[in-house]
Amino acid sequence: MKRRTVVKGALAGTGMLAAPAYLRAQSAKKLSVLTWNIADQAELFKVEFGEFKAAHPGVEIEWLDKKGPDLPAFYQTQIVAGTPPDIVDIQGALWVEYAANGGLVDLTPYLQKEPDVAKRFNPDYLNGWVYKGKTYLLPFYVAKTLLYCNKTMFKEAGLAGPPQSFDELIGFSDKMAKGEKTGFLTLNFDWLYWPLFKMNGVELLSPDGKKAAFNTQATAELLARFAKSTASGGINKIAWTGRWVEPNGAFASGTVGMLHAHSASYFFVKGQGPWINADTLGAAQLPGFWSTPTNHGFAISKGSKNPDLAWEFIKFMTSDKSASAFFKTRSVLTANVAADKEGLASLQKTEPLAAAVLQTQIEHTDKLTGNWPLPYDAGLKDAFWPEIQNAVLGRKEPKQALADAERAVNRLLARKA
Amino acid sequence: MAGVWRVRRQRTRLALLLWCFLAPSLAIFLLYRVIPVIWNLVLSFQYWSPLKPAEPAGLDHYEDLLYDDVFWQALWNTLIVIASAPIGIVLALVLALLVNAEIRGRDAYRTIIFTSYPLMTVAVAIIWRWMFDERVGLLNYAARSLHLIDTPIPFLNSFTWALPCVIVANIWQMLGFYMIILLTGLQNIPHELHEAAAIDGASAAGRFRRITLPLLRPSIFLAFVIGMLNSVTSFDLVYVMTGGGPGRATEILVTYIYKLGFNQTKFDDAAAVTVVFFVLLVATTWGANRFAGGEAGAAETE
Repeated sequence: MKRRTVVKGALAGTGMLAAPAYLRAQSAKKLSVLTWNIADQAELFKVEFGEFKAAHPGVEIEWLDKKGPDLPAFYQTQIVAGTPPDIVDIQGALWVEYAANGGLVDLTPYLQKEPDVAKRFNPDYLNGWVYKGKTYLLPFYVAKTLLYCNKTMFKEAGLAGPPQSFDELIGFSDKMAKGEKTGFLTLNFDWLYWPLFKMNGVELLSPDGKKAAFNTQATAELLARFAKSTASGGINKIAWTGRWVEPNGAFASGTVGMLHAHSASYFFVKGQGPWINADTLGAAQLPGFWSTPTNHGFAISKGSKNPDLAWEFIKFMTSDKSASAFFKTRSVLTANVAADKEGLASLQKTEPLAAAVLQTQIEHTDKLTGNWPLPYDAGLKDAFWPEIQNAVLGRKEPKQALADAERAVNRLLARKA
Repeated sequence: MAGVWRVRRQRTRLALLLWCFLAPSLAIFLLYRVIPVIWNLVLSFQYWSPLKPAEPAGLDHYEDLLYDDVFWQALWNTLIVIASAPIGIVLALVLALLVNAEIRGRDAYRTIIFTSYPLMTVAVAIIWRWMFDERVGLLNYAARSLHLIDTPIPFLNSFTWALPCVIVANIWQMLGFYMIILLTGLQNIPHELHEAAAIDGASAAGRFRRITLPLLRPSIFLAFVIGMLNSVTSFDLVYVMTGGGPGRATEILVTYIYKLGFNQTKFDDAAAVTVVFFVLLVATTWGANRFAGGEAGAAETE
């Protein structure tokens, strides 16, 4: 055998042995990203992922999108299997449970190391991702509740503008109720109805978070007012029974005076309500300026093999450039101050009504409520809400409903203590 | 002696062959049925979540159920769904008797009635959700067109109507299945019995009560058990139609188990509810079997 042949053979053998190590090294740079119900952004993500990969040679990105109800179940099965996605887009308060149980990477050290990253964001929205002094997510896109007004119905009822107090809110609702027409609707999932309680001084829990604090005479009276207005048609019953399609659809039909919902509702309502234009729809703050956020944020799973790279990724996805692009394609606020400012200015020219709706989302962000960082938020909702429904729909006396809700909430809190 | 050995060897070979044929099915049954059931039982006595290691919980989760209003509501709703199965069976029996009679186009009727059963449950749920819709639903449209109501009824958003609506959709889907089972039972009843009874002067109602119904018992049992299991485990129907709401009006145990597990990450509590659900189903099936005479569904081996 010739020496050259031996050398060739040795090189080939070494190459073959080295190949798996090379492949392992490649796969070590793979990032998996799980997003929540934004499959429609495939085009934009393709471009953005391409840019990220160009800036980080050798990195592969695996993107998976799940529908709303599917994501938590999917994410949990991935955690159990030991293969959680590196980056996960989480909505609402689910993240608190993951964070409290050590499932998410604490981003505080990264933010301290790179203080400019935190400065990108509206601090109120960024602080919405803090649990026990540690930040676990960066804002991806944000929304909070506002009050949509059917100006035509307002005019018919002789009302000049949005209500300025809770009394006016109920009074206006009752005034607009006539036949099939009702005065008010609210979304009720994810504590979106809570501003109605907060504006009346109701607190859910005691300051130490260990006991229910809502069972008061004032809350009972508030529930009685809701029940009375609901029974008379001032408040549409769907406010307490529907979830998303029903209340938004009812408002879009043009027979409801006010809708208390987040900015995402605008596009749904606009799509279904041919009557909607800048002359017929108004966007205002709820009296007292309280609102409940429904934000999406990027978190890094504790099980990620590349947390530093994942941080680079979420930093990139929330940068001014990426956030601006996302605002443009989806018309949503990103909590990135520069991107939102630029996006709103541009939207003002093309779609002023949408801009007016989104403008409410960056105002009074110091009065966010219903977004308690509680690891057992889902259980709390389930303990509280059904009894409130019973009261406002007249199925139980408010005092009895509150007592039952208090018992259920305190039992949950005692169990979690 | 050699003959005995040969017979034994043959039996051993036969047993081995049988086990070989059974092995794949048994392996799947073990993997997807027996192990999960045992794991679920163990889980119900532990504190566990995907992010936390398991710790012993004793009977805590079962004790929690005693104070859990939602559990009792879901259990009650589940019992109502189970209790509604006979309504479907009675309707199906009427239909089976009709399509068993000598009428023109009966094969077409059988096919039409059966069509609802193979439909995907999600599709059934969507169809009925639209039928019951407050604004664009066919039922409200018809009722208003006939001046039966002034304002539309929010069927699926009403605490009063939501569960009956889900039951109607469920019965509609199961009707074809019940009918086929009962039709098969009817066709297995010897004609001679009816003829003899008719000659003896028995009326049609008497023949139905004394001959048809008793001989249909195994079929009714089968329809009830399978229909009941299908109904109470019909997660997709409830989830798509109402999501368990409004409030907890249509929450059944299977939807509550899902919510406990995947919405609240309380897999341990969900496991305890699952055990109760399992016991309930076994008890109901046993009760139905007793009602059907105790031997219903048993195969004759000789």
